[in-house]
Amino acid sequence: MKQLNFSFSTKLTFDNYVHEHSFALRTMPIESSVQHIIGCELNISPFISVCNTTDAFGNTVTSGYIRDNHRFLDFEIKGKAEVNPESPKTDFMPCYAFQSKYTAPDKDLTEFYKGLSAECRGTSAFDRTEYFSDRLSDTIEYSKGVTDTKTTAADAFALKKGVCQDFSHIMLSLLRADGIPCRYIAGLACCDGETHSWIEFWDGGKWVGFDPANNCPVNEDYLVLSQGRDFGDCAIDRGVMFGEYTKQLQLITSHLASAY
Amino acid sequence: MKTEIRTAAQGAVPTAPSADAAEINELLRRYGVKFGIYKNGQFKEQLFPFDPIPRIIEAEDFKAIEKGLIQRVDALNRFLFDIYHEKNIIHDGIVPEDFVYISSGYLPQCEGLTPPENIYSHISGIDLVQGKDGVWYILEDNLRIPSGASYPLIARELTRATSPATFSGGAIIDNRNYSKLLKETMDFVNRGGINAILTPGRYNAAYFEHSYLAELTGATLVQNDELFVEDNMLWHKTYSGGKTRIGALYRRISDEYLDPLTFEPSSLIGIPNLMEAYRSGNVAIINTPGNGVADDKGIYYFVPKMIEYYLGEKPILHNAPTYLPFYKDDLEYVLGNFEKLVIKDVAEAGGYGVVFGRDLSEEKLEEFRNTLIKEPRRFIAQEVIDFLDLPIIEDGGQVMRKADLRAFVLSGEKTKVWASGLTRFSRNPDSFVVNSSQGGDFKDTWVLSR
Amino acid sequence: MGTISLEHGDRLYWLGRYAERVFTTLKSLERLYDKVIDRDPSHYIKYLECFGLTDIFGDCDSFMHDFIYDKNNSYSVAYSLERAYDNGIVLREEISTEALSFIQIAMDKLDSSHNSDKSLCVSMLPIEDTLFGFWGCIHDYVYDEEIKDIILCGKSVERLELYIRLKYRTELINLEFERLCDILRRIPKNTPYRYNTEQLSILVEIIGGVGCKGKESEALSALARLFEH
Repeated sequence: MKQLNFSFSTKLTFDNYVHEHSFALRTMPIESSVQHIIGCELNISPFISVCNTTDAFGNTVTSGYIRDNHRFLDFEIKGKAEVNPESPKTDFMPCYAFQSKYTAPDKDLTEFYKGLSAECRGTSAFDRTEYFSDRLSDTIEYSKGVTDTKTTAADAFALKKGVCQDFSHIMLSLLRADGIPCRYIAGLACCDGETHSWIEFWDGGKWVGFDPANNCPVNEDYLVLSQGRDFGDCAIDRGVMFGEYTKQLQLITSHLASAY
Repeated sequence: MKTEIRTAAQGAVPTAPSADAAEINELLRRYGVKFGIYKNGQFKEQLFPFDPIPRIIEAEDFKAIEKGLIQRVDALNRFLFDIYHEKNIIHDGIVPEDFVYISSGYLPQCEGLTPPENIYSHISGIDLVQGKDGVWYILEDNLRIPSGASYPLIARELTRATSPATFSGGAIIDNRNYSKLLKETMDFVNRGGINAILTPGRYNAAYFEHSYLAELTGATLVQNDELFVEDNMLWHKTYSGGKTRIGALYRRISDEYLDPLTFEPSSLIGIPNLMEAYRSGNVAIINTPGNGVADDKGIYYFVPKMIEYYLGEKPILHNAPTYLPFYKDDLEYVLGNFEKLVIKDVAEAGGYGVVFGRDLSEEKLEEFRNTLIKEPRRFIAQEVIDFLDLPIIEDGGQVMRKADLRAFVLSGEKTKVWASGLTRFSRNPDSFVVNSSQGGDFKDTWVLSR
Repeated sequence: MGTISLEHGDRLYWLGRYAERVFTTLKSLERLYDKVIDRDPSHYIKYLECFGLTDIFGDCDSFMHDFIYDKNNSYSVAYSLERAYDNGIVLREEISTEALSFIQIAMDKLDSSHNSDKSLCVSMLPIEDTLFGFWGCIHDYVYDEEIKDIILCGKSVERLELYIRLKYRTELINLEFERLCDILRRIPKNTPYRYNTEQLSILVEIIGGVGCKGKESEALSALARLFEH
């Protein structure tokens, strides 16, 4: 068991006024058997009233609407959590066994999977995940700026480059092809200045976390913000607005550290 | 003025209105009963041509259909609740999970969500055909706001005006209560506020229907850019800068475009955060998102089993004999009997993706066999039903044509079947596909009162 | 009461304007035709001048034909009728199917008058009758006074504008202006068709005072800005 202090903030700046701006945030860490949220504060500016609901995947969705003209949207969470990987989560959804929008493999990725599957000696979900992840880090180079939030597993695999989100998507694609249910996680990890992504696979009745971008199992230095089939279900912020803006600038800073 | 109002002879049932097709079609045009289509990149409004000879359903026959449809729709509503909650029908091995979770109509985002009053399909359009043997067969279920009720509704209004004597005996049940049924259905699930009908606008094929139903039910016709969600409630922007709350939203746009913050992010026709308002129980969405999993062509095969499973009853109405290539025995049968069967791609709708085995060349057949073996889940195969043909007017005379019937079932406090329906037929004598998007025409459907 | 969206508010106003434009255009053309019969055959050029247009027709008959039937001429009856239909078609639940059908009937009658061997006034009569039917429906079926007032406001603004442009008699302009003022008083504050006080007082000064003669462009400009906020 370990206590963590976390903070996360996003500053969205538009280069012209926008209005009638609807947004949905998934930034409140999930309360689960693995992580108990001792306290969490959410601040949004401009100040407006927001509502919280829980979506089908168990994420807290904070939604709001800003009618009048504004040029920025800032939000920030701050809090303390207690992480205990010894008591894993058991909430299951059948959709995690099937490929989803971002993870559907193309021909090359399917071939890659077939190769891995034939070579892998392990039979347990953990062994197979570990083996797939090993091979993935040999094949894909961690590289920023080549992919974006729309990049699918197949796209990133073709590029042989990507960031944590792409590693997660390819990993999910391989595991689902192998018959292992698994899900996408967006969250915070120690020593990472931005948000991080990893996966969880279903291991006979419980979820086990694995970080394919760092090719290592997940320990108590990880905090889950949202979970789902892929990035599409987990986006930290989604919004629709009106106005003549052409660009938005997003600045993200996060901090996760041991509370001792 | 014709003075033809007289009481029809006792027991005699009229078979057609006395006015001719041209007269009624002229009135339909006058009242703006048009249907928009895009052809060669241009928008055109055209009539959905009306044939005055009605389909007539005897009172006894209708009673059986009515019971069967209520049973079917009740089971489908129970199925939807089950799929998005406990999934007992899967655990109990009645429906294989493959048919549910990879269906494009299944939306994991709707897991655990319960619509107001537990109603998923408020308006169900069940397509039936009658075989030569008089038996009715279900062709497909449409649980994502089926369209078409407005056509027989206004056609009846006009034929009653042009041919009063035809209706004077009271032998034909008045179908104009549809708007009342629809309003009751909306009111029953309304969470506070007005009823609204969401339309993609004038250039949508169903625009006449949306505007006519709004006029008849007193609902407000709205477009997505007039709506917004604030404090998890759905609002209509008024021209004075105020807002009016919406408690029930009738919509025909697809689930995937409904809310860009939950579904397809690039959707421009949706309402951001509508799903949050719905999830909070502040608005009813008619029909409920996620219904596509129950009217999937693959799931169709299992509906009779659902009726037995949920209601403990024998199905009253039959499916057309259907084979699922997913099951090995069925696949073998299909491969061996192609010429007898019609094959449907489960992902397609509106009469597309339908192939008649007997129409395929040797080469195409071989190609199709391979596709079927590779992707058995994608298709269903049905015996070609020997339709009972209906007479239509053509060049002043009568000819026989294939026709189907879309029955409308409304689920509110009770499940009710509208005593009418949209009868569609194809003018092409060789066509077995009757669908307005494939150039079909329509008839009114008369249900007899005795 | 219902809820009116910004778009529908606009549509209602323009439905009123276009339906009226059809009617007053017809009436003005008939008035012009009467003058042409036994007086100046080139009088139609004066009509064109009222709209800042030059003569491209050469004779009154082709001018008349164009101003009635040419759907590409934005001053024609046919054009205005089509715009009335475009605005009306999205207002079925506000104005009723029956009111809408009168616009369709007027379009049909205009089409079929094309080959008529009757005189202008007689062949246009059924179209005018139909428009009276349309307005009857609006008065009879629209129970929401706010909706009715927006349509009537559009109607009155249109008639006043054409009367000023076409230099109708002062008494007629005064009567229409009084009618418009009555409607404007009923339109609630903070809605798009609430009058702009400054523009309205300019109109009162011109029309209520010495009359429009020589001050047409000032009156028209105030009328065009009557709903500016």
